[in-house]
Amino acid sequence: MTPDDPADEQQAEVVELPAASRATDIALDELELVYAFIYARVGNRADAEDLTQQVALKAIPRLRQGAPASAIRGYLFATARSVLGSFWSTRLGLSEAELREDLALVPPSEPPSEEGVETVQEILAELSDNYRRVLELRFLHGYSLKEVAAEMKSTVGAIKVMQLRALRAAAKVRFPR
Amino acid sequence: MNRKPEERVDKIVASLLRGRRLKLRAGDAEEKEAITAAARLAGTHQGPQRMHPAFRKRLARALEQSPGELWVTRRSALVAGLGLAAGLAGGGVLGRAFEPARAPAHAPAAGGDVINPTRGRWVDVAAMADLSEGHAMRVRAGGVGAFLFRHGDTVTAVSSICSHLPCELWWEGSTQTLNCPCHPASFYASGQPTDPYALRALSKLQVRVTTVGRVEVLGTE
Repeated sequence: MTPDDPADEQQAEVVELPAASRATDIALDELELVYAFIYARVGNRADAEDLTQQVALKAIPRLRQGAPASAIRGYLFATARSVLGSFWSTRLGLSEAELREDLALVPPSEPPSEEGVETVQEILAELSDNYRRVLELRFLHGYSLKEVAAEMKSTVGAIKVMQLRALRAAAKVRFPR
Repeated sequence: MNRKPEERVDKIVASLLRGRRLKLRAGDAEEKEAITAAARLAGTHQGPQRMHPAFRKRLARALEQSPGELWVTRRSALVAGLGLAAGLAGGGVLGRAFEPARAPAHAPAAGGDVINPTRGRWVDVAAMADLSEGHAMRVRAGGVGAFLFRHGDTVTAVSSICSHLPCELWWEGSTQTLNCPCHPASFYASGQPTDPYALRALSKLQVRVTTVGRVEVLGTE
């Protein structure tokens, strides 16, 4: 075995490795970014957890010794995009072309900041007054349809239709990041 | 199923706002843009989410389960300063740690319940002689659609309806799978999904072969 032999290198480096619990924490932090990325696209914890675990299952065993480390986060996010693509295409028949925005996303280089509300408001700002209001009340304030109807002096039926149209319009606005 | 689009989408929105999983049905695909927008609004408005402590703990346990080979060297981890690489190198093998939970292609998926109609009756659907190994036969037992598969002297049957969207499956002989026309989903003759992560297994039906070689399925009037 030569000093350049990968196996030799592994054995030599094991001695200097951080404690397992510390290493696990670091690995989990990387998966935290994947989780946040996925959650922002599926909007619920149960699906986000399932998909994050799928990313770990699919990506981690394929990371090979000697792979450029700078590509590791990219590889994780490429896997996350593939898993998300499969999630949506299975459930809604979305094609990769329709998922191009997600597929083109650049992996985050740092932990996410607390900018969710601002992000939503940027999207809502592109909508007409009524559409913006109905989505603000529903998504930002958690109003029920009945409460939205009362607030907007309308009927529940009309608000349901308005909500659908507002979401269709929101889908046409490019989501930041 | 015949509800108006605004009602279907509102049900999905209400579900998302309660933090529930996305449950979609046939017909929802028509509103895919509104649904994905709703999911993103629900997923973004509270800011970036972190893993729930219980989920993080489950992952941590899996990572710490066993020491093993190295997939990524510590050197490569340090060069990029990437936590995951260091984690892999230090904590043993993520892949190895996850291995026990990784479902092989034919591992049982959830679902696969046996259909037992309340007022079921045995319906003659085919002659045993008409069935051959490696081929599926589409039959109907009253109100129940099924695919029959022969295995020597026995026959098994699975529902002809996809476990996710209520669409009629079709048999693809070249891949030996039942495929869904509504979305990219397919199942083995056993009813197990070809993608172990995504779908529930197909429901099974009770089948019997009579002494005169007729195949009967427990269906309905």
